[in-house]
Amino acid sequence: MADELLSPVRTPQRAQAWTQSYAPLPGIPDEFIGPDGTPRAYWRGFLDALGQFDQDDLDQRLATAERRIREGGVSYRIQGETNEQSWPLSGLPLLISQAEWNEISAGVVQRAQLLDRIIADLYGDGRLVRDGALPAAVVAGSPEFLRPLAGAKPFGGRWLQFYAADIGRGPDGRWWVLGDRTQAPSGAGYALANRLVTSQAFPGLYRDMNVQRLAPFFRAFRDGLAHAAERSDPRICLLTPGAFSQTYFEQAYLARYLGFLLVEGADLVYADGKMHVRTIAGLKRADVIWRRIDAEWCDPLELNGASRLGVPGMVEAIRQGKVSMANMPGAGLLEARAFQAFMPGLARHLLGEDLRLPNIATWWCGQERQRGEVLEQLDHLSISGAFANQLPGFDGRHSALVSELSPAERERLVEAMTARGMDYVGQEVVRLSTTPAWETSGDRARLVPRPFVLRVFAAATPDGWQVLPGGFCRVSDRSDARAVSMDASVRSADVWVLSDKPVEMETLLPSGDDVRIIRLLGNLPSRAADNLYWFGRYLERVEAILRIVRALVAKALDPDAPTRVDHGPAERLQRLLVSWDAAPRVVASSLSLDMAQSALHDENNYGSALSNTIAARRAASSIRERLSPDVWLLVGRLENILRKPLGQSAVEAGVLEQSEQALQVIAAIAGFVNENMNRVAGWNFLDMGRRIERSINTLRFVSQFAGDDADLELLDVLLDLIDSQITYRSRYLTGATLAPVRDMAMLDAFNPRSVAFQAGRIEEHLAGLPSLRETGMLEQPRQIALKLKGDLAVEDARRLNSQAIYDYENRLVALAIAVADRYFLHDASEPSPGKVRGLA
Amino acid sequence: MIYDVTHVTSYEYELPVASADFMLHLTPHEGNGQHVIKTRIEIDPPAMDMQARQDFFGNRTTVLKISRPHQALDIRTVSRIEVERPQVPAAALTRPWETVARDALNAPSLGPQSPVHFLYASRLAYLSTPATQFARASFAPGRPILEAGIELMTRIRDEFRYVPGTTAISTPLDQVFEQRSGVCQDFAHLMIAGLRGLGLSAAYVSGYIRTIPPRGRPRLQGADASHAWVSLWCGAEFGWIGLDPTNALLIGDDHVEVAIGRDYSDVSPVKGVFIGSGRDSLSVSVDVAPVTA
Repeated sequence: MADELLSPVRTPQRAQAWTQSYAPLPGIPDEFIGPDGTPRAYWRGFLDALGQFDQDDLDQRLATAERRIREGGVSYRIQGETNEQSWPLSGLPLLISQAEWNEISAGVVQRAQLLDRIIADLYGDGRLVRDGALPAAVVAGSPEFLRPLAGAKPFGGRWLQFYAADIGRGPDGRWWVLGDRTQAPSGAGYALANRLVTSQAFPGLYRDMNVQRLAPFFRAFRDGLAHAAERSDPRICLLTPGAFSQTYFEQAYLARYLGFLLVEGADLVYADGKMHVRTIAGLKRADVIWRRIDAEWCDPLELNGASRLGVPGMVEAIRQGKVSMANMPGAGLLEARAFQAFMPGLARHLLGEDLRLPNIATWWCGQERQRGEVLEQLDHLSISGAFANQLPGFDGRHSALVSELSPAERERLVEAMTARGMDYVGQEVVRLSTTPAWETSGDRARLVPRPFVLRVFAAATPDGWQVLPGGFCRVSDRSDARAVSMDASVRSADVWVLSDKPVEMETLLPSGDDVRIIRLLGNLPSRAADNLYWFGRYLERVEAILRIVRALVAKALDPDAPTRVDHGPAERLQRLLVSWDAAPRVVASSLSLDMAQSALHDENNYGSALSNTIAARRAASSIRERLSPDVWLLVGRLENILRKPLGQSAVEAGVLEQSEQALQVIAAIAGFVNENMNRVAGWNFLDMGRRIERSINTLRFVSQFAGDDADLELLDVLLDLIDSQITYRSRYLTGATLAPVRDMAMLDAFNPRSVAFQAGRIEEHLAGLPSLRETGMLEQPRQIALKLKGDLAVEDARRLNSQAIYDYENRLVALAIAVADRYFLHDASEPSPGKVRGLA
Repeated sequence: MIYDVTHVTSYEYELPVASADFMLHLTPHEGNGQHVIKTRIEIDPPAMDMQARQDFFGNRTTVLKISRPHQALDIRTVSRIEVERPQVPAAALTRPWETVARDALNAPSLGPQSPVHFLYASRLAYLSTPATQFARASFAPGRPILEAGIELMTRIRDEFRYVPGTTAISTPLDQVFEQRSGVCQDFAHLMIAGLRGLGLSAAYVSGYIRTIPPRGRPRLQGADASHAWVSLWCGAEFGWIGLDPTNALLIGDDHVEVAIGRDYSDVSPVKGVFIGSGRDSLSVSVDVAPVTA
């Protein structure tokens, strides 16, 4: 740590030291140091307050914030990677004064209005093109000009419901619009998560600085969506591309926060001119769809036929005016850079006003005069694709600063711009302003200026456009302020808009932003039910494998164990593992330890404990909005335990210990689920999955160890596997005998591990689910379950034999199939990977 | 000339399919030198819900849903069409291609016929340097656009072999270029890509060509299936002119147009999504017979 930071120096000295060592980049505006060369008042106030904390405390608060981000699962996925990354949080918020914010906000509102009108015109009357305000070729060139939407009339009239502008402060000190996000803007959820963490790290500071709250905006956004729907009390769905989307975390987070139904394309269906959600209670109308998938993928019939993310018929439902979209498919066309060239003129044409926030000076090279101007000042400009994200002809590049091109590249670019100028725009090179960030070199932490981009969000509400007072700020790790592209090495920062007067407490909680506004869970989508159910089944399968492994290793450890080789307990335990594909083949009992390890860790065995844990996590990842963060955390911990290899020198005790640890985590998950999960349909499915899996597994155990050929030793293993050794001993003075053991494992309704107990719970779950039959007749799963429960209740253990036990197993498998047929999606064109794998 | 066109698309599914959604571009459009006397589509098993509409480009589409389980599906379209196209202008009379390119870019309309829609890279006819270079050889500075277009079409016919089965819709243009063979879609996409690379406006046309040639003339390629060719915008005075690079023919009374789009994906005859898990196999048969009065 730096000397001046370690010493017990208090404010104002520490803040002074930070200030003195801070050097803005020459010629570039800075958020901390104003144009007059002195620190802005609010930054001084902020640093003074920060200086009150001693360095250890400060470090700890920042570390806690980082950890909360990580553990809360605030993450994103980098393209091409399968694992999620935590979103790195900058330790300092971006501060913006109220006066400045008012200007930004007014500019963003003006722009949102303007863009909405442009889009409505281009898909509607087409006056802008007819009047010559916009060349037809600019519109036609955008791949997001979706022709099937031409003539569509959005219910409520808005093409744009949720808009974001990327802005930055230019060299002249004004805020500039760098880009428009009209398709499906991301980042608002991250802004919310950042706020939660930052405000909790510095609660006093947050309060004293009069930071504007975010919650009212989200409430207004929700009202706006509800208002746009045909029915009152509409069902609002957030349409996600799925768990492999880069920003899936954010989508799940927002769905949870706003009380929207998180759906994938397969959850939706078009019928009778309307959109519906497939739920366990049948089709339910989807009134509003907030889409986070690009428009092109919304409808495989009318848009991109390769899409498996969308819903055939969605465009038709839109044309019928029966579903409200946020945003309308096709709204994304204004993201094309070429439009920037026409915005100043369009503002005057449509609104009779100048743009309140200028955008970067842009020339579309499809017009001869503009192209001429670009070619004249080429070396001072940045060239980008007019419509595409990539620079056409230069694979993998977003844009080119002409001054940095080689002569050959420059020549190639000029040639391409001459042949097809319409594919290119020239843009002024903007050097972005900087804001303070922490830089640690060795032990020294100091403030350094770093360029940033701010994404500002606006929502259409019944009272007009409202702007989120804050936003999603990305701070570059490099000091090159021309680097507009901020893909690599960025951190995100909370954005504090500092009110002139104390901010009203909007909610009861101090941070003000972690309040769920409403819970509109409604009916459980079939896909969510499916994933919850399989999450339960996979976890239970892991538990069964762990128990077998434990028994197997214990046998290997027992010096008194009889040395019988054929059909002994070790071989039977091994056979169970092999039948579940937890291990490749039965081996000599002296190798049981190796086999146990393989059944725990080996990902190549697709039925190993680890493989089933991964499958459980995969199922959980697409229902994240329905599981508490604690459960998510524990599943991760279970995987970590099972991934830890014990190595060659592993001893029995090590394997035992690992199994115990894993079993404890599973117990903790079960505890969280039972204690904390709302008793709505989701819980029914999760628990039912566990119960069905457990009853099938228990019957398999009984067949192996309490069949007609069972002996004392085998029965003993069964009691271990079903955790009933102690109960048995306290109830029966004799050693294990067949009928009592069978009774305990299968029929004893007081034993929470018996099959009868599971059948009782399953029947209760099914009774609690909605019925599709209006006649009052029972649906098939419930019929099977009731009969099973009754038969087990009147069964006599002394009459049981191997065949009868096997018959019960088959009836449970039939029940599992009936449950899947009745409640889950039958879209086998998208089978969940790993689901078709021999699990009963 | 009057033709009876029968187009049958048959799907067989390995496992029963629960439901299926289709969008069809099977009904020939009206106008541009052709008149549809009658046309109908038969679906087996019958569709629950079948709706006809026009798409953005004025093509006639049919959307249908089959919501009962089925293991085979037939889509049969039968149409009677009268074709009598106007004379194609003399190529030398068309304007220099650079002027036409400029006019296309500056066209002040977003209407369905406007050349602005067909200027840019599209999903299957994306810009490709080899295609552009190939096209450029025919487009000397100042050359009349149709003259250059006809030469390009003829060079494709001469230098590429028509070999069914070596390509699929998803085969990249560059590969078609490399192997110098393909089918009508490939040649159409290739020619479109080359023309657009030069800044010209070119559309994709799906349709049919007569099965049995008139006496004394060779049987044309692409007669037993859907055919495809190119329509080139030749300036405001001449508009769109059809060129068939597979046969090196200007579009005349031997061709029946069905639909026009930016590439195959805009006008694919049968586009479908079904819910089912097995494989599916597809067979298509087309018959175009002149009606003798």
